[in-house]
Amino acid sequence: MGHLVTSVAPLPLQGGGLGRFIDPFVQFLTDITNLEPVLLQLLAFGLLLGGVYALTALGLTMIFGVMDVINFAHGVFLVVGMYSVWLVSEMAGISPFLGIPIAAAVLFVLGVVVHVLTVEPIIEAPQQNQLIATLGVLFIIQSAIEIVFTPDPQQVELSLGSIQVGGVFIPLGQFYALVIALGTMLAVRAFLNRTDLGRKIRGTADNRDGARYVGINVRRINYLTFGIGAALAGVAGGSIALFQRFDPFTGETYLINAFVIVILGGLGSFPGAFVGGLIVGMIQVFGGYYLPGTTAQVLIFLLFIGTLLVKPEGLFGGAEA
Amino acid sequence: MSAIESVRDRYRTFDEQRYAPLVKGVALFGLLAALPVIIEIDVAGMELAALLSLKVLILTVIYAYTAQSWNIMSGYTGQFSFGHAAFFGIGAYATQKLLVDFAVNPWVGMLVAGVLAAGYGLVIGALSFRFKLQGHYFALATLAFAELLRFVVTNMSELRGANGYFKPFPRDYGAEYGLVAFQFQNDLPYYYLIVGFLLVVTLVSWVIKNSWVGLYFFAIREDERAAASVGVPSFRYKLIGVAVSAFFTALGGAYWSMYFNTIRPDTVFALFKNVELLLPAVVGGPGTLLGPIVGSFIVTPVSEIARTTFSDINGLDRIIYGAFLVAIVIYSPRGVVSWPSQARALWKRVRGDEEVSE
Repeated sequence: MGHLVTSVAPLPLQGGGLGRFIDPFVQFLTDITNLEPVLLQLLAFGLLLGGVYALTALGLTMIFGVMDVINFAHGVFLVVGMYSVWLVSEMAGISPFLGIPIAAAVLFVLGVVVHVLTVEPIIEAPQQNQLIATLGVLFIIQSAIEIVFTPDPQQVELSLGSIQVGGVFIPLGQFYALVIALGTMLAVRAFLNRTDLGRKIRGTADNRDGARYVGINVRRINYLTFGIGAALAGVAGGSIALFQRFDPFTGETYLINAFVIVILGGLGSFPGAFVGGLIVGMIQVFGGYYLPGTTAQVLIFLLFIGTLLVKPEGLFGGAEA
Repeated sequence: MSAIESVRDRYRTFDEQRYAPLVKGVALFGLLAALPVIIEIDVAGMELAALLSLKVLILTVIYAYTAQSWNIMSGYTGQFSFGHAAFFGIGAYATQKLLVDFAVNPWVGMLVAGVLAAGYGLVIGALSFRFKLQGHYFALATLAFAELLRFVVTNMSELRGANGYFKPFPRDYGAEYGLVAFQFQNDLPYYYLIVGFLLVVTLVSWVIKNSWVGLYFFAIREDERAAASVGVPSFRYKLIGVAVSAFFTALGGAYWSMYFNTIRPDTVFALFKNVELLLPAVVGGPGTLLGPIVGSFIVTPVSEIARTTFSDINGLDRIIYGAFLVAIVIYSPRGVVSWPSQARALWKRVRGDEEVSE
């Protein structure tokens, strides 16, 4: 009997031989054939997480796509967004939902400042220099937050509760974050496709020299792009703060997964970022349930490497600006 | 002709001699060897040791060593690796695994680790180069290969998961404190050991630079297609660069695991280890022999001194470090070793371009 129980429970099989690689998948397949209700719940969690992940990658993919700069400060931009929302709701007593646009505004200014001070002077330099400069920015902002707000985790006081839909449990905080993510993605897409400035940004992404020839002020596009990218990080960070505790170092994990999503979806592609976010979110939720420890992250990196090798332009590469 | 100019001319004559690199190398490593004594010299009641402890010197030389190893691949062949923590971590883990679980002498373990890391490097290189990854994509791929190992090791009970290894006592593997055991009871021998490591990798770099292998490397860095069109087997030579670089980086990891008491996935495979390992080369001047060493003597003490000076405010040291990083890549994109020639150019401009021929 005891043997039966252990073989059913999807628990870490630490120290076991090959079984630990095979058993979770066997378990997963049996759950599918048995139509376990838990699958629906996991699917819902994956969707909720994936939508937010997509939002975290949006700003990164924009800066990467338009300026060809890997912005290592993106993760800490998210953290600034989280603290902005927290500060607004704790200190000023304003609803955290109203804090999100404020976070976006704060991050836009911060992004432009960071761009003018650190990226602009070396935009033509070898790319490793930009990488190290943005890394320096990461250290500065992260430690500044640590000094001002202590390294202790913070939390936005917000009890939204949850709803049940057809036996599936949906935490409302995460649900609103997903709605914000989807809304932001549609808004940014409309901005890029419909407005004059958006078209200029896409043009610059396609061909910097060509953009210069037709009279686009590429310098201005650069700092606006960096600002908008940072503002998107503010929205993303603010949405995450609705449902999760955070500390000055939370950005690191999000940063790495945002890179994965950007490459997975295709550089500069918004639908790609969404699909990439969903894939990463699903792997994390399902992997977290079936696989021991943080093995899910191993799968994510394998997928990342596979994409880089086989289809570096990503799933939706080249289709959108 | 002024006195300065005659000195300069004499230096130039010396520089053209065949023995010049040897003399410079001996001078440099002589200086490194004397450093533990120099920092304790009393100058007007102040000694450098107040700022620079032997521990900081060891750390500095470790990063000079790893940056020199990184340079062989990324500085010479131009393939910017952002994932050298993979090789460093393999070096640390393979050495400790063999030492703790099989009582294999760390010197042997270190060489095994080097070969393993070179193998992993060949896999990364073969895949990335075969699929023609370049620039950012190559950097991200190497980062992914390093992060992959971090999570694999964290989840493997065979490698003690997130807890990592605790360095055993020499008697646990049948040795006495000393060179054979790779363990000493004070820091001074550790310092000379890592200076020796640095000497070896610098010699190897020098030999590569001054051979046709180096010529091929630089040709690939400057223009890979042009190099291939005149018959440079670029795929093979890029792989050689990766393998040699990975091998030496792993030895650095092995040293790290024998100097510090513990290794964990979060320390030797850390995301920022990737940066720390290569930073001195970028700061000093990528692709140069002196750059990684000079760079490390700038970067590492700044970070360590900031940490000890501002220890009462947690994080202030990293603000200074970050500002320092930003400043250095903005104001000195070609590295610190280019300062003398830049200063000379500036001097010439100030004097009104009298000697344009120089």
